[in-house]
Amino acid sequence: MTNDSLTRRTFLAATGLAAIVKSVPTPAWAAAVARVGTSAPAFTSTATTGKPVSLGDYRGKIVVLEWTNHDCPYVRKHYETGNMQALQKEATGTGVVWLTIISSPPGTQGYATAAEADALTAKRKANPSLVLLDPKGDVGRMYGATNTPHMYVIDNAGTLVYAGAIDDRPTSRKSDVDGAHNYVRAALADVAAGQPVKTPVTRAYGCTVKFS
Amino acid sequence: MRIAMRGVAVRLLTTVTLLAGAAPAAYGADAVVSPRVRVELLSEVGAISPGATFWIGLRQRIEPGWHTYWMNPGDSGEPLRIEWMPSPGWALGEFAWPPPERIRVGPAMSFGYIDEVVLPLPVTAPRDLVPGARVTLQGQASWLVCEKICIPEEAPVALTLTVTTGTPPPDTRGAAAIAAARRAAPTPSPWPASFSATPDTVTLTIAARDLSLERLADVAFFPAGWGAIDNTAPQHVRASAAGLTLDIARGPVAEAVRRPLDGVLVVAEKLDGSVVKHAFTLSAAPVGSGAQLPLVYALLLALVGGLVLNLMPCVLPVLSIKALGLVRHADELAASRRRHGLAYTAGVLVSFALVAGALLALRAGGEQLGWGFQLQSPVFVTLLAFVLFTFALSLSGVLVLSARLAGVGQSLAGRAGYAGSFFTGALATVAATPCTAPFMGTALGYAVTQPWTTALLVFEALGLGLALPFLILTLAPGWRRVLPRPGAWMTRLQQALAFPLYASVAWLVWVVSQQAGPPGVAAALAGLVLIALAAWLHQASRGVHASWRRAGTLGAATLALAGVAVGMLSGAVAARPGPTAAETGWEPYSPARLAELRAAGKPVFVNVTAAWCITCLVNERVALGSHAADDAFARNGVTRLKADWTRRDPGITQVLGAFGRNGVPLYLVYPAGSGGRPAVLPQILSESIVLRAIEEAK
Repeated sequence: MTNDSLTRRTFLAATGLAAIVKSVPTPAWAAAVARVGTSAPAFTSTATTGKPVSLGDYRGKIVVLEWTNHDCPYVRKHYETGNMQALQKEATGTGVVWLTIISSPPGTQGYATAAEADALTAKRKANPSLVLLDPKGDVGRMYGATNTPHMYVIDNAGTLVYAGAIDDRPTSRKSDVDGAHNYVRAALADVAAGQPVKTPVTRAYGCTVKFS
Repeated sequence: MRIAMRGVAVRLLTTVTLLAGAAPAAYGADAVVSPRVRVELLSEVGAISPGATFWIGLRQRIEPGWHTYWMNPGDSGEPLRIEWMPSPGWALGEFAWPPPERIRVGPAMSFGYIDEVVLPLPVTAPRDLVPGARVTLQGQASWLVCEKICIPEEAPVALTLTVTTGTPPPDTRGAAAIAAARRAAPTPSPWPASFSATPDTVTLTIAARDLSLERLADVAFFPAGWGAIDNTAPQHVRASAAGLTLDIARGPVAEAVRRPLDGVLVVAEKLDGSVVKHAFTLSAAPVGSGAQLPLVYALLLALVGGLVLNLMPCVLPVLSIKALGLVRHADELAASRRRHGLAYTAGVLVSFALVAGALLALRAGGEQLGWGFQLQSPVFVTLLAFVLFTFALSLSGVLVLSARLAGVGQSLAGRAGYAGSFFTGALATVAATPCTAPFMGTALGYAVTQPWTTALLVFEALGLGLALPFLILTLAPGWRRVLPRPGAWMTRLQQALAFPLYASVAWLVWVVSQQAGPPGVAAALAGLVLIALAAWLHQASRGVHASWRRAGTLGAATLALAGVAVGMLSGAVAARPGPTAAETGWEPYSPARLAELRAAGKPVFVNVTAAWCITCLVNERVALGSHAADDAFARNGVTRLKADWTRRDPGITQVLGAFGRNGVPLYLVYPAGSGGRPAVLPQILSESIVLRAIEEAK
């Protein structure tokens, strides 16, 4: 089963690359589209520190991408219960790079300036490595992020190994955090153990990403 | 499969007094009772009788610009759920979710409702309710409502009804809304469905062979789960010989295509001037479920399958005659024998490559075909019967075919014999086709989902298996020592071997009877007679004067061609039998039968229908075919006549015209007593419409 899905993914990888080669006349953001099992597309964005950040900066490290919108009830479910912060702390504690990404453009729910985003991090006692500002939605579109929260795990070889929900309880109820199966934690454990991720793709749940 | 209602408590609160006050909000980040969605519980009945099953409905009135979600919300969102106050004695069904709209939100596709929706669900009351008491059903509904932003909301819902002893009256507010919602809700699909997947595409095929695209205004498939198909992708609809086909970009979950693809198909059909939507639940089975089969295993299976084919009644005679030829020419040089074996093998392999190539090419062209697809054509089946019949005649001795044509081995020594062996291989392949499918399902199912090179390899392994026994006989001649010496027994055996072939012919004619009905059978049988006549003429004219001989051959050829032409004709006859007469209680319509019943003053229900009319099918399923309707027809002595317009029928067209229609469905109810005009029922029926019509007619 695992081996089998692995070969299937390799196959997908091959065809995915073929599709990329073929699709020349497409908008810039569609130049590469994230597909689980293939190389995570490279991007450069701006962190709240004002510095440009590239995925390539973290070559050799495990990277988690977290799409967020602080006013989305589903995001609040995980922050107000401390679930997201705990996972961030646990991951970064083992050397994982955690990038929280805001793709809401100005004037829409979830938009935050650098200062506001940093204030949110402080107020919520969040533990991301960096918060990236993506108001044009370039990175979000590249990764096909549809929801907040929408979670991605990139292994230390630069392969996208997980995309989807944070856990298996697609609700905004805070009481559902307890007892939920956390897909991100499971994926990180699989990667750490050098094993293929058992559940590589799930349906993300939450609010839609407010692309400009 | 993610069904949103799973895990919801299926009990209701019943109390004698109304429970005042809402349950406090137990959860939810932002749950509020807001004007974005107003929810209320409706009932189809105005009172409850103890033990009765009835439908209630949860109505959502949604603010413009906002939407709520279907049971599968799509790429984001969350369906409504309801938590009922626990109470023993009540049984509560699941929501019959009306089909959703496709709602595009940025990069995501949501499946949901706008404006207003009623979610109906059946409930059964306890038997021990006290008449006159008031009963309240109460629960807490929670849902997500989205515009650009999403807001989880919740509200208490309650419904209070009085317990009655008689038949409860319909509820003035709820009955119509719930009936409409139940009509919109999906019914089980009358057609089998399947799907195949490539790395990029999922092709869903619904075997609705009778539908034509012109009648369809719109077709949409809503998956019940997430991941198998790309929700945002356009769905390309085609009508092909296999039925309706939807090509949809594949979703991100690789394993999803190995499980059945469940969902709801919404078909909008053009009826006389209006468009009617029907929703069907369907579960499409993955085609080529052997997709995980290792290639080596598939090849082995195919090889063994090919070997088994040699024992089939249609193939065994071909091979046996070939083997007898070897016996007869025992003194043949080993090298020559081997060449015959190789020629035969080549014949089999080339034929398999041709058939497999045609199959793969057609599939690439979008046809949903499997091995044995040729047998779906009555023309092909008839022609196959003719070929086997001709061969059987030659075995019986009615006809001596030249070795070049039949390759039965009489002239093994001759140089032309190699071509004969090659064509015997081709004949064995053709003869084997009807027997292939049941044995080779797994290997061939695997083959057709693979790239064409792999697929061809599997087909060729099958061919090799078929050719192998004869090839071995030619390579290893030692086996002949165990057989008696050539002699008269060989002629007897040859004649006996004709009978499995005649049996195969009989079976093929039966297949034609299924495909093309009595006209097809008549044509096939006439063709067989003509072929027999041609064979006799050909044989009888041998050894007579040359001009007679020419005339005889010409006559034979003409007759054989005529036979084939007649066979083709059988295929041209509408290849499908009308809707099966499986439903009991319906008689075929004829004007004479109707006149007779009317003269006797009997009430009559006339159903003018067609196999390709979706609305007709749905009406027959949900209204005309229901138990209650069945009962009512029988109890009130209403004769049911079914006028099938699937094929052109001028008589039925006239009936339609007489009622100002030029399309089906049309439902007529002739009241008891010989006078009186028939009542014309609406084109979309519900059980209650039918029951009322029967009441009025009796």
